[in-house]
Amino acid sequence: MNYLPMIIVFPLIMAIIMNLLHGKEKAVKYITFITAAILIVLPFISQYGYYYFGGHGVVDGWVSGIAYLYNPAKQAVIVTLSLIASLVLITGMGEKLKNNMFVTLSLMGFASIAAIVLADDIFNLYVFFEIVSIVQAGLVFLSGTEEAYKAGLRYMIMGNVAAALMLLGIAFLLASTGTLNITDMKNYLLVDNPMIYGGLLLLIIGLAYGAGLPPFHNVKADLYARSKGFISAMLQTYSKFVLVGLMLIILKLFNGLDYFASAHGVLIALGVLAMVFGVVMALLQSDYKKLLAYHAISQGGYVATGLALGTPLGIVAGIFHAINHVIYKSALFLGAYIVSCKRGSNLHKLGGLLPLMPSVAFMVLCAKLAISGIPPFNGFQSKWMLAQAAMQVNMPEITIIMIIVSIGTFVSMMKAFYLIYLKPVDEETLKEYENKEVPKLAVFSLFVLTALCIIIGIYPDIVINYLWDYAKEIGVNYYLK
Amino acid sequence: MDFQMASFITSGLLVIIGLYGVFFVDNVLKKIIALEILGSGVNLALITIGYNGGTIPIKLPGVSVEVFAKESAYPLTHALVLTNIVIEASMLAVMLGVSIILYKKYKTLKSSVILKED
Repeated sequence: MNYLPMIIVFPLIMAIIMNLLHGKEKAVKYITFITAAILIVLPFISQYGYYYFGGHGVVDGWVSGIAYLYNPAKQAVIVTLSLIASLVLITGMGEKLKNNMFVTLSLMGFASIAAIVLADDIFNLYVFFEIVSIVQAGLVFLSGTEEAYKAGLRYMIMGNVAAALMLLGIAFLLASTGTLNITDMKNYLLVDNPMIYGGLLLLIIGLAYGAGLPPFHNVKADLYARSKGFISAMLQTYSKFVLVGLMLIILKLFNGLDYFASAHGVLIALGVLAMVFGVVMALLQSDYKKLLAYHAISQGGYVATGLALGTPLGIVAGIFHAINHVIYKSALFLGAYIVSCKRGSNLHKLGGLLPLMPSVAFMVLCAKLAISGIPPFNGFQSKWMLAQAAMQVNMPEITIIMIIVSIGTFVSMMKAFYLIYLKPVDEETLKEYENKEVPKLAVFSLFVLTALCIIIGIYPDIVINYLWDYAKEIGVNYYLK
Repeated sequence: MDFQMASFITSGLLVIIGLYGVFFVDNVLKKIIALEILGSGVNLALITIGYNGGTIPIKLPGVSVEVFAKESAYPLTHALVLTNIVIEASMLAVMLGVSIILYKKYKTLKSSVILKED
């Protein structure tokens, strides 16, 4: 039996069940733990290949029904996604928010992202794209502050615009090809046609919204900054994998066609702009979570640039950086959550936490070194590959920008580390710190993520080997003249 | 001008009016109405793509498959529009709920006040 559809169907069913368990905190806790365990197992027992819903398949060359495509590259992405979803669910078990709503929304988000990554049908992708924007707004509303409502409403209004435009793009592609299946559509896109240009442009708008590239970077960063720390860890995972899924679809449809060259430039420019804007905004922030949020945008720019290069090496580097990024950035957001349990997230009011929790400080330091690309950690491996990919297509200027942005990241991260853990504080603050508990489950999740940072940093092949086949299939070797 | 062209122009106008409303009107409720107009424009464009001068895409008894396939409109677009209406309705419900919460807090619906970035 093929368990592939269960990756999407199982979390949705559990989300509905969780929604009914209102006020039964203990039952919610146990079921959450079991669900988190099952989510990790599901991607390993599914079979590779196409899966057609309803069992229709291809009849006389016509694809009927919604199709999913599963292969090693998508497996690597989904395993990472389910790992982080499980760790965040486990962390959320120890927190007293409206627990069943949190579990419901995050399971719905998991199912939608998995569907976006797996979907081989462009309308199915659109439906789940919309569900993700409701889910993200809902997860922000959970923190219940006034800023959270503002950020969520702003995000939903922008989201409705971007998603409507993306649907218009899908309508253009449908009008010019007559099909919605991506593998099928690829065969009809050879001629250039103004309709197809329009469709491509509008798809790119949807991509920029879903991934938080400019001009949508402000709403997205606000969204991360206003939610609770471990929820932001999940939200940034969602947007990175939306970026990977949609970009793989755009590349699969258009890569290698003559008229795609100009759009290539647009995609690379979006990535570079996100990189630079993100790090510049991050250097200006005095709020720790806002700083991390803008770094998430900046690292999203790296992923977009790598994928947009369109060469096999670029695609591998992009997906690998997305996986590494969600691991260390989730660790950083969990660190911010642990700190905010002690005393808020304003950098000027914090300080002197090193003697109180040296192990957490060490693990956060590891994640900070990983995000700035210091050798033994995983960030170094993927940034190195991205630099190589940029050099391979004769674009050394992108490599230079990447290095400069990395330095900016390092500077602001070390500034934050000094202000939180090392800056001396007075006796009163120390007493205030000692009265407040550290959430144990968050420390456990942080430990797992940091261990992964180091393991992937030393043995990058355990991820990269999964990615090459698909990257060679959709990547095109091309050199800028 | 034939019917299909007129329909496309109408949907284009709806999309432009919707975009204008979302970005330039300073009232959250009007912004949400503009979003609905934008969504209706997209729905109309989708349905018009499926239109080919034929009948509704329902296979009546006594009509052979060949005749149905030749004469009816493209049914896929209708399915898409139905799905999209459901999604839009749920988005609308959530947005209206949140704007009620924000209205209770600020006693105004001006987006320059309640959507201000800080």
